[in-house]
Amino acid sequence: MTLLAWSGWRIERRSGRSSFALVSALLSAGAGAVLCCALLFLAAGADPIAAFAALAKGSFGSTRAIADTLVRATPLILTGLATAIAFRARLWNIGAEGQVFAGAMFAFWCQSAIGAAPAYLQIPVIVLGSLCGGALFGALAGALKARFQVDEVIATVMLNYIIIYALSLLLQQGPWTEPGGFFEQTAMVPDQAKLPILIEKTRLHLGFVLALVLAAILHVVLHHSPLGYEIRAAGSNLRALQVQGVHAGRLILVVFALSGAIAGLAGAFEVYGVQYRLKSGTLGGLGYTGIIIAILGQLSPRAVVIAGLLFGALLNGSTLMQIRTGVPSALIYAIEAIILMFFLIAWAISQFRLRRLRDVD
Amino acid sequence: MTARLSISNLSKRFGPVIANDGVSLEIRPGELHCLLGENGAGKSTLSSCLYGLYQPDQGRIVIDGEERRFRSPADAIRASIGMVHQHFVLVPTFTVLENIVVGTGAGWRLDTRAARRRVSELCQRNGLQLNLDALVGDLSVGEQQWVEIVKALYLGARVLILDEPTAVLTPQESERLFTLLQQMTADGLSIILITHKMNEVMRSDRVTVLRRGRVVGTVETGSITREELTQMMIGRQLKQIEAEDRAGSGAPAVVTISAVSLRDARRVAVLDNLSLELRAGEVLGLAGVAGNGQRELFEAIAGVRRTERGEIRLDGKSVANLSAADIARRGVGYVPEDRFRDGLVPDLTIAENIVLGQQWQAPWRRGVLLDAARMREHAARSIADFSIATTGPGERIRRLSGGNAQKVILARELAKATRCLLCNQPTRGLDVGVIEYVHGQILRKRQDGVAILLASEELEDLMRLSDRIAVIFRGRIMGILPRHSASIALLGQMMAGTPLEQAA
Repeated sequence: MTLLAWSGWRIERRSGRSSFALVSALLSAGAGAVLCCALLFLAAGADPIAAFAALAKGSFGSTRAIADTLVRATPLILTGLATAIAFRARLWNIGAEGQVFAGAMFAFWCQSAIGAAPAYLQIPVIVLGSLCGGALFGALAGALKARFQVDEVIATVMLNYIIIYALSLLLQQGPWTEPGGFFEQTAMVPDQAKLPILIEKTRLHLGFVLALVLAAILHVVLHHSPLGYEIRAAGSNLRALQVQGVHAGRLILVVFALSGAIAGLAGAFEVYGVQYRLKSGTLGGLGYTGIIIAILGQLSPRAVVIAGLLFGALLNGSTLMQIRTGVPSALIYAIEAIILMFFLIAWAISQFRLRRLRDVD
Repeated sequence: MTARLSISNLSKRFGPVIANDGVSLEIRPGELHCLLGENGAGKSTLSSCLYGLYQPDQGRIVIDGEERRFRSPADAIRASIGMVHQHFVLVPTFTVLENIVVGTGAGWRLDTRAARRRVSELCQRNGLQLNLDALVGDLSVGEQQWVEIVKALYLGARVLILDEPTAVLTPQESERLFTLLQQMTADGLSIILITHKMNEVMRSDRVTVLRRGRVVGTVETGSITREELTQMMIGRQLKQIEAEDRAGSGAPAVVTISAVSLRDARRVAVLDNLSLELRAGEVLGLAGVAGNGQRELFEAIAGVRRTERGEIRLDGKSVANLSAADIARRGVGYVPEDRFRDGLVPDLTIAENIVLGQQWQAPWRRGVLLDAARMREHAARSIADFSIATTGPGERIRRLSGGNAQKVILARELAKATRCLLCNQPTRGLDVGVIEYVHGQILRKRQDGVAILLASEELEDLMRLSDRIAVIFRGRIMGILPRHSASIALLGQMMAGTPLEQAA
C-alpha cells in the first residue's frame, strides 16, 4: 500500500516486522516525549533539567521513594491488566473504573461482616471479596452484551457512573459513613485487615507482589491455556470460533468477569493497602489510566507491568517536582497523554517505510 | 496494426515479493485478450497497475502511441481504460441510470437528459436490454454486471479490464456475457479478460500466460490446446483426477435432511422444505448459483445455524440439540466457503489453527494448559502432508496465501471427517496444482466410506467427482441426477430454476 509518493520517494506499508525500525521509533518517541515535556516545564516557568531531576529523585531517589513508586504502580498495573485481557478479545471494556469501585465495595462489605477476625482470615476474605465484586460487576456488562447485544462501551461507561454514585450514596450520611465523621469516607479498617507491609518504614504492601504474580499468571493463561487461546482467537476472528461451536456469549461473559475481577483487586488493595478506609476520591481515575497503560503495554501482560511502573513513577515523582520547581503536579496527566501519543505514533510509523524508487521512467 | 495498449518491462514489487517482473504485453484494437495464470502469478497486480490502483516501480505504459503514467484510477479512466471488478461497486438503491452517471465528474448538476440519451445509445449498440429506471438492487447479478460494463463504456473506455467476470454467473448468463463481449470487440473495443477457467480462455483471441510475475508467453488461442496452456501456466503437466462412476451404490445414509426450512434475518426463506441424503462412500455434488441457500444448508448440517422446520439426522440421531462442536466430535468435518471469515483465525499460528475448536480436548491439553509441543508436532506433520508453503508451524495464518490457508483448513477438517465431510467451494480461487491435490484428498475420503457433500461453481469439477449431483435454486432442490446423465446444459437450466422434470 502506498501512503504518499513524491518525486522518486514513497512511503509504504512494511510487509514484515523490523525490530530495528521498532526500536529506533520507540527511542525517538521517548526523545520526542521528553522534549515536549521540557517545553511544557518551560511554559510552567521552571528549569526543565531541574524539573526532570526532581521528578527522578521523587520517584527513585530513596528506598522510600522507590517503595512509593511501586505502591502507586500497583493499582495501575492491575487496571492495565484488566483492560488488556478484555481488549485482547476485542471486548472494549471501559469499565475497569467502575469495577475498581465494585471490588473495593464488595471487599469492604465482606470484611465488615467478619469484623475483627484474625489476619489470616482477613486477607483471603478481602482478596476473594474484591475478585467477586469486580467479576460480578464486569459480568453485568458482559451479560448485557452477550444477551441483548448492548454495546459494551456504552454499558461499561454507564455502569461506571452508577457504581461511583452508589458509593457516594452509601458514604454521604449513609450506612457506611464514619460515625460522627464529616467526610465522604468510612471509618478506619481494623489493624488485622491492613495488608502486610513488605519493607519496614515504607508503604510497600503485599498487593504489589500479588499484582506481579497475577501478571505472570495472566501471561501464562493468555499464551498457554485453552481460555487464553479463545481470548486471542476471539480478538482476531470470533466468527471462526463460533463456526467451531464455541459459545460466544459464554466467552464474552467469562472475559468480562475475569477483567472485572482483576480491576476489583486494585480497588481492595487501595483500601486495605494504602488508605485503610474506603473513600471515593482516591479510587477515581485508576480504571481510566488503566486503559492508557494497557495500550502503552500493547495489551501484553509483561509490558503492562512496565508501563504501570513508569506511570507509578511519574505520579509519585510529581509531588517532589512541584515542591522543588513549582511545576504543578497536575501537569503529570498531560505528560501521561504526551507519552501515550508519542508511542502510538512510533508504533504506527514503524509499520511503514520510506523507499526510493528506481527508474520510474 | 499498432497496439491500442502496450506495456513494456513493467515491474512491481511488494517488499521482498516481486509481483510483476519485467512484464511486456501488447493489446490490439478490438481484441479479446486473456490474462491467464495461477494465484500470485501477478494478474491482479498487473491489472491494478493498468487501472492506476498501484504505481509500477518501473516500466512504461503506452496507449495509442502516447506514454501514460497513472497516479489514480481517475488518470486511467481519462486515458480510456475501464475496469469491472469481481465485486461490483454499485449503489443498490440508485437506478441504473444514476449508477452509471454517478461520480462521472459532471460537476454538481447532472444533465440527466443528455446522459440518458448516451446510455440508451450505448445499450442499443451492444444489444443490451436494460431498464434505465430500475433500481440496481432489483436486477439480477448478470444485469448488474452489464450496468458496470455500460458504466465503463459511458466513461469512454476503449480498453476494458474484466476481473473474473463469470464467477458469479450461471452458465447461461456467462454465455450471454461472452456474446456481448464478442459484439463489443467487433465494435473496436479492446478487452482484457482475467480468468482461470479454461473454456473461457479458449474463446479469446490471444492469451498471455503469467507465471511467478513473468510473462511465459503470448499466443494466438487458435494455435494452442488447453493442455499446452495449462502446462505453460503451471510449468508441468497435470493429471486430471476422475472418480470412477458408481452412482446408485445404495450405501446407507449417514446424514438425512428431511423437509428443512430456514429463513434469514429479513424473514426471507433461504431453505425451503429441502430434503437430501448423504450416503456413506458417496460424493453428492451440489450445483447452484452462489447465494441460493448453499451456505445455509452447509451451516445447518454443521450445526452452526439452527433450522426452523424439518429435521437433520446424523447416523440416525437428530442433531437439533447439538452444538457445532458436538457435531464435529461425531465425525463431521466442515470446510466453509469463506475461509478467512469462517474457517481461520488470522492472528493465530498454523499450529493453533489446526486445532481450532479442539482447544479444550484431550490430545492438545496437558493438565490445564495447552500442549504446545504436541500441537507444533502435529502441525509440522500436516505441513508436510499437505505441502503447505510456510516457514513453519509458528507462522501466522495472516501471512499465508489463499491456497495455503485453505490447506490448513483441509488438514483440520479432513482429520475430523470420519463420518461426513462438508465442502463448500473447497477449491475456489486455488491454483490448478492445489485443486488437483484437494480433489485427490476428497476422493480418498470417499474411498474411506465418508459421506461427502461438495458444492462447487466449477460444474466440470462436480461432474468429474460426484456420484450424484443435486441442483439448488432459491433454497429448493430442483432435482438430483446421477453423474452419467448430467450435462452442463441441463444443470444450467436447473440452476436457473427449472425443475428436473421440466428441464429438457
